[in-house]
Amino acid sequence: MAVVTPLDHIRNFSIIAHIDHGKSTLADRILERTGTVAPRDMKEQLLDKMDLERERGITIKSQAVRIAYAARDGQTYQLNLIDTPGHVDFTYEVSRSLAACEGAVLLVDATQGVEAQTVANAYLAVDNDLEIIPVLNKIDLPASDVPEAEMELHELTGATHDEILTISAKTGEGVDEVLEAVVQRTPPPEGDPTAPPRALIFDSEYDQYRGVIAYVRVVDGHFDRRQLVTLMSTGQGAEIEELGSFGPGMTPAERLETGEVGYIITGVKDVAQVRVGDTITDRRRPAGEALPGYKVVHPMVFTGLFPTEGDKFEELRDALEKLKLNDAALLYEPESSVALGFGFRCGFLGLLHMDIVRERLEREYGLELITTMPNVEYHAHLTGGGMAVVRNPAQMPEANSIERVEEPYVTASILVPSQFVGTIMELCQGRRADFVDMKYLSPERVEMHYRLPLAEIVLDFFDQLKTRTRGYASLDYDYSGYRASDLVKLDVLLAGEPVDALSLIIPRESAHQRGKALVTKLRQKIPRQLFEVPVQAAIGNKVVARETVKAVRKDVTAKCYGGDISRKRKLLEKQKEGKKRMKQLGVVEVPQEAFLAVLELEPGAKGR
Amino acid sequence: MHGGETPRPPFDGPVRHVYVHVPFCRARCDYCAFASVAVGGGGSATDVPRLFDAYVEGVAAEWERERAAHDVRRLRTLYLGGGTPSLLGPDRLERLLTVFRPHLTPQAEVTVEVNPEDAGTEFAAWAAGARRSPGSGALRGVRISLGVQSFLPELRAALGRTAQADPRAAFDRLRAAGVASIGLDLIHGIPGQTPELLAGDIATVLDLRPDHVSWYELDVSEGTALARRLARAEGTAGGGRRAAPVAALADDVRAAGYRRLVRALSRAGYDWYEVSNFARPGHKARHNLACWRARPYLGLGPGAVSTVGARRWTNSADPRAWAAALAAGRRPTRSVEELDDATRARERLLLAARCGEPVPLEAVSAVVDPDALAASAGAGLVSVRGGTLRVTRKGRHVADGLCVRLFRAPRLRG
Ligand SMILES: Nc1nc2c(ncn2[C@@H]2O[C@H](COP(=O)(O)OP(=O)(O)O)[C@@H](O)[C@H]2O)c(=O)[nH]1
Ligand code: SF4
Ligand SMILES: [Mg+2]
Repeated sequence: MAVVTPLDHIRNFSIIAHIDHGKSTLADRILERTGTVAPRDMKEQLLDKMDLERERGITIKSQAVRIAYAARDGQTYQLNLIDTPGHVDFTYEVSRSLAACEGAVLLVDATQGVEAQTVANAYLAVDNDLEIIPVLNKIDLPASDVPEAEMELHELTGATHDEILTISAKTGEGVDEVLEAVVQRTPPPEGDPTAPPRALIFDSEYDQYRGVIAYVRVVDGHFDRRQLVTLMSTGQGAEIEELGSFGPGMTPAERLETGEVGYIITGVKDVAQVRVGDTITDRRRPAGEALPGYKVVHPMVFTGLFPTEGDKFEELRDALEKLKLNDAALLYEPESSVALGFGFRCGFLGLLHMDIVRERLEREYGLELITTMPNVEYHAHLTGGGMAVVRNPAQMPEANSIERVEEPYVTASILVPSQFVGTIMELCQGRRADFVDMKYLSPERVEMHYRLPLAEIVLDFFDQLKTRTRGYASLDYDYSGYRASDLVKLDVLLAGEPVDALSLIIPRESAHQRGKALVTKLRQKIPRQLFEVPVQAAIGNKVVARETVKAVRKDVTAKCYGGDISRKRKLLEKQKEGKKRMKQLGVVEVPQEAFLAVLELEPGAKGR
Repeated sequence: MHGGETPRPPFDGPVRHVYVHVPFCRARCDYCAFASVAVGGGGSATDVPRLFDAYVEGVAAEWERERAAHDVRRLRTLYLGGGTPSLLGPDRLERLLTVFRPHLTPQAEVTVEVNPEDAGTEFAAWAAGARRSPGSGALRGVRISLGVQSFLPELRAALGRTAQADPRAAFDRLRAAGVASIGLDLIHGIPGQTPELLAGDIATVLDLRPDHVSWYELDVSEGTALARRLARAEGTAGGGRRAAPVAALADDVRAAGYRRLVRALSRAGYDWYEVSNFARPGHKARHNLACWRARPYLGLGPGAVSTVGARRWTNSADPRAWAAALAAGRRPTRSVEELDDATRARERLLLAARCGEPVPLEAVSAVVDPDALAASAGAGLVSVRGGTLRVTRKGRHVADGLCVRLFRAPRLRG
């Protein structure tokens, strides 16, 4: 325990890959072959801790593990494997995880070749000065095309044939070579053991008994138990109650040395105080400068979450509070809707983040939720000066008080087999996307760049991309600031009353078509009422689409004498009970299914 | 009106209305879901006379028991329903009436349900003068409710009504005998009843000018022969050796037929005073109105329902067991339902909705959702004026849905 590993025997690395290219499988093999985990404790994909992660096959939170590896040179090395989240929503977390490493295994499925996240992750690794170890995986599969994938990897990283490893994470073939390459090619950490201590927080986790657990990489100096420390972005002081490494479970130690990866527990209870990217230093001998790259991530996608049963509001709040403990990026504030009752407007890093939160609320907290159409954050610049931040379409100021509306744009990178170039151009044209450039990774694969509104991605861009390219296209994107657009607020009116939960902010040119689709669907899903109900879509006072829900002509039983009365009354009471899930909108009763159907019409609202 | 007076809780107060259930029919109709037993040709089978006699004795005994058990005043209405009361014949009906006669007010309404095959001249004569008691002066007959169902034999056949008597002739005999108030009982929405056939029945009704019309939409109750037949019709879209049964009418055809007959009768001077009931001036069925106004009433006979105050009970339907209990001096078996205040208030509302009776708001405010009330008033389904709620004629067409809407959500109930 007290044995100190010299700096030059430490290797900090991660595995980066497009989803499903085999990152978790490779991590499992490594843990197995190095005896880090006894085979009987080996669960499939050990690093993916949450049920949801294991099920979806994606990593949501980073994890880390310390591995003792007896290399072929006869030396034993301390390898710290840091797993990274594998999705564009969590790009910032990925970049911080990579900042904690010196090397990265860039894993590519040889049956698929380089994909959008491969590229994005490779650039992130390069930006963080990491040594990249290119590895082709799944060579056991007959469908693997090693030469083609090798060419793409070469194109991307400049790696030569000899530098590219070929493995099967499944059978274990070539995995030892990966470990050797990590030891031989990854530089050891370079920190200064004598400098004032600095540790990078690359992840944090909330534990209900112990408070926040910070996942750290010690860059300079060392940290001891009981040491008084400061979080540099906030100046928040704390005392280290426990620290240690991951073996893979938390293994307490007395000290974390320069270059090591481990965890630090202070008494801090709030993850927002222990933000990813922040620097921990010594309180009495503080570092002059924080580690670079710290930023607070902001949610980009917003949606209203409402319990289907009105009395579950408190439960929803408690659940969000608990999730927030572990998810500094999650934002929520109470919101009330005439249509859906009391709920929360929630902010997420992206659609996946949203899906994950929603799914956890439903699964872990047993809540049934209605999710409104996700939207981005609009900036409405007002004629009288000033700007309104609009995270809920219902909050959009009156059209005549708005000088212009800006919306967030992204730069999207789309990787496709070259025969789909035309398809992509066509799709992008309908999505308000500006072409930036295009580059051939190989004769068969193209990387295209577009600038387009994030709202288009939130709508259904990704689904369309996948559908139209039969699943061959992959997408990655980066935020690129706000730009003005010709946007309007489309309201849906039932019997003349706007239904706040269904308002949308959309490009003016699609208002008619979207309005038509909305009112048609609503008309179909709203049962006949006791009186006729007009269903309209309108921009301000201008109705752009209209349908009518017909009135019930007759709803009364013919006979009601003596004994019929009880029967009748019970029947009506039962029907009333059955209407619990009806929402009362002014004079109109709308079944929840109608909302769900309309919300589903908006493809972005569904998980992927 | 009811200014300042506390509204009387539904079904509270002394009993002034009695319903007598006569649970016998010649044969069961295919659509029947009433408490009734088939006794064949009526009176001829050996034990039927004894059954009928025991029944009349039973009613007399039950009446004595119930009269002692409740605050019963002189009766304003007496209703002999069924089943087929006319099957008892004038003599037994007279015996029954004798039991009640001393307890009726002078203006009491007495109604007897009659099937056309029983409405011979003898019966008609009894009906016209049945209330003439020695020394009573006034000559007032009973009110007759004649079970027509349809004037068209093929539609009656579609209902499984086998008796061939012509309802028109029965009506004429009753009128000729001088029965002062005759109501016709009809059904619409019968399988095979095209709009033209319905128009024919409407024309006949207007031609006869009965004093009262009850015109019910056919209710296909589960478990009836008709329900099975219609289910078969759905299964066999033509073909097969047997003639395919006629299928049920579509909902909108039935709804249109209903509107049509409401319109026609209203135009002809009938007051559409309840969902299925129409009356010429002075001929509303006071007994049924009392029920819809949530007045307390006693039901006698097998299967009869009573509601007094917070309690509703239903006699067991078996005529023999019922008669045996009473003969032995015991109370017949009954199932009891206790009605709490909210339940009674809801019933008050649902009954009032059917006939447009005004209801003091305070009598139902505990069970009515104010937002729904406002919305419904805005849509012209109810009117609220001077602390009184009244369901409009427009609202009556959707009275059930309206009540569901008006009821306070169960969770919010106090
Ligand atoms: N045949 C084969 N399948 C593999 C290999 N590596 C991973 N897989 C499979 O590919 C799928 C995705 O792997 P996973 O490790 O979850 O990918 P991740 O999303 O990058 O973590 C799983 O079904 C794995 O079993 C391999 O070398 N050969
Ligand atoms: S006459 Fe009336 S009670 Fe008797 S079987 Fe026919 S429908 Fe039923
Ligand atoms: Mg994985």
